[in-house]
Amino acid sequence: MNIFVSQIMAIVWKDFVTEFKTRELFSAMFIFALLVILIFIFSVNLSIVKASEVGPGILWVAFLFSGTLGLNRSFVLEKENGCLMGLILAPADRTTIYFGKLISNFVFLTAMELFILPLFMVFFNIDLLEHLLPLLLVIFLGTLGFCTLGTLLSSLSSNLKTREIMLPILLYPLLVPIVIGVVRMTGQILAGEPLSGMMNWIGLTASFDIIYIGVSIMTIDHILEE
Amino acid sequence: MMRPDGTEEKNEEGNTLVWLTGIALLMQMISIFIYVPTERTEGVIQRIMYFHVPCAWLSFFAFFVVFICSILFLWKKDREWDIYAHASAGIGVVFCSLVLITGPIWARPIWGAWWVWDARLTSTLILWLIYVAYLMLRAQSDSGSMRARYAAVLGIVGFLNIPFIHFSVLWWRTFHPQPKVITNEGIGKGMDPSMLATLGLSLFAFTLLYFLLMGERVRQEKLKDEIDHLKRKNFYSS
Repeated sequence: MNIFVSQIMAIVWKDFVTEFKTRELFSAMFIFALLVILIFIFSVNLSIVKASEVGPGILWVAFLFSGTLGLNRSFVLEKENGCLMGLILAPADRTTIYFGKLISNFVFLTAMELFILPLFMVFFNIDLLEHLLPLLLVIFLGTLGFCTLGTLLSSLSSNLKTREIMLPILLYPLLVPIVIGVVRMTGQILAGEPLSGMMNWIGLTASFDIIYIGVSIMTIDHILEE
Repeated sequence: MMRPDGTEEKNEEGNTLVWLTGIALLMQMISIFIYVPTERTEGVIQRIMYFHVPCAWLSFFAFFVVFICSILFLWKKDREWDIYAHASAGIGVVFCSLVLITGPIWARPIWGAWWVWDARLTSTLILWLIYVAYLMLRAQSDSGSMRARYAAVLGIVGFLNIPFIHFSVLWWRTFHPQPKVITNEGIGKGMDPSMLATLGLSLFAFTLLYFLLMGERVRQEKLKDEIDHLKRKNFYSS
């Protein structure tokens, strides 16, 4: 078990070092998310629509789109110079590759989201600090769900001819339940409702996360097989 | 011609299924347009239900077959299961499209709108998108084993998503007519017996149609494999 964890950590650490050296992924994701929010602000008239009603949807669309950029890079980066082959050949269980990638994707996306939240607060004039803890829980559940399925499908789409195009086409329909859930929950939290009123949504997103982690463990061997 | 053993027999089997399906579909037409009475409140448009519901049943059944065949493929690694999954996904998408077309035709006079974001409409649309993506994935990846493995993973992931889609859209909003066939009072109490019989006949006819189409698609895929095999043998071996 200990070896398993250290193997995962080695992959995560490798991703962090690459990112600190190049700094290309994080800045791209952040700027892209900001642009998505701006485009949506221009497309809805905030003097007519209430910001707290459209805000959650816009926020999550921005997370989703910029997260897809990160997922696309995650395995494509490994294709260069045959790094993925090296990882597969390494004497480790292949689920470690999945978990390593899952953790690094999750950390990058969460960090980006934490930078976006203050800007969201300013642009939409919504006070997030009041409901920060429940909001962070929702962001955790949603981002985890996005990354579990996203990492699995990104490992798959990186081998296709048109990988950047295929990943969103494969991923977005499958993410619909979680998107509806997190947007609903974020909206209710911003409206000041307590978490206990949305236990069904929390259960749905949490079980989504757990089931897809399980499915990924079972199927990743068949994807990373050359 | 290529396989003199048992080809004849297979054709005959296929013919019986063709005849059975033909007769069942004909009887379905007769009972929809002549036998069954017109619904009291909705009028003649309600007869579209006898296509709409069987199409939905057929596509969901087809997607379930994709799921089972995908699991069996990853387990046994046998090309046979991959062919079944592919064939079934294609048929499922065609009939899911028909559901999405007949639905608005029925909805327009009854609900007064082509499309409402009702739970079952939304989940059918998402399901359609998932399996169109499945077919696109198959078209995108060329090598045989890789394509089969990836498609199988997506077949499993996609089907497991159905309960999540169901509940999320249900809690989101719903307008659809409450279940009429299986209600709290028991099976078939909410409907006139003649309507129920017609619906049953339609479901039966469409199930036969599924197996007929499935047989044809599987035969096509196998012939395609054989052609590929012959091509490779004749072009590269000499």
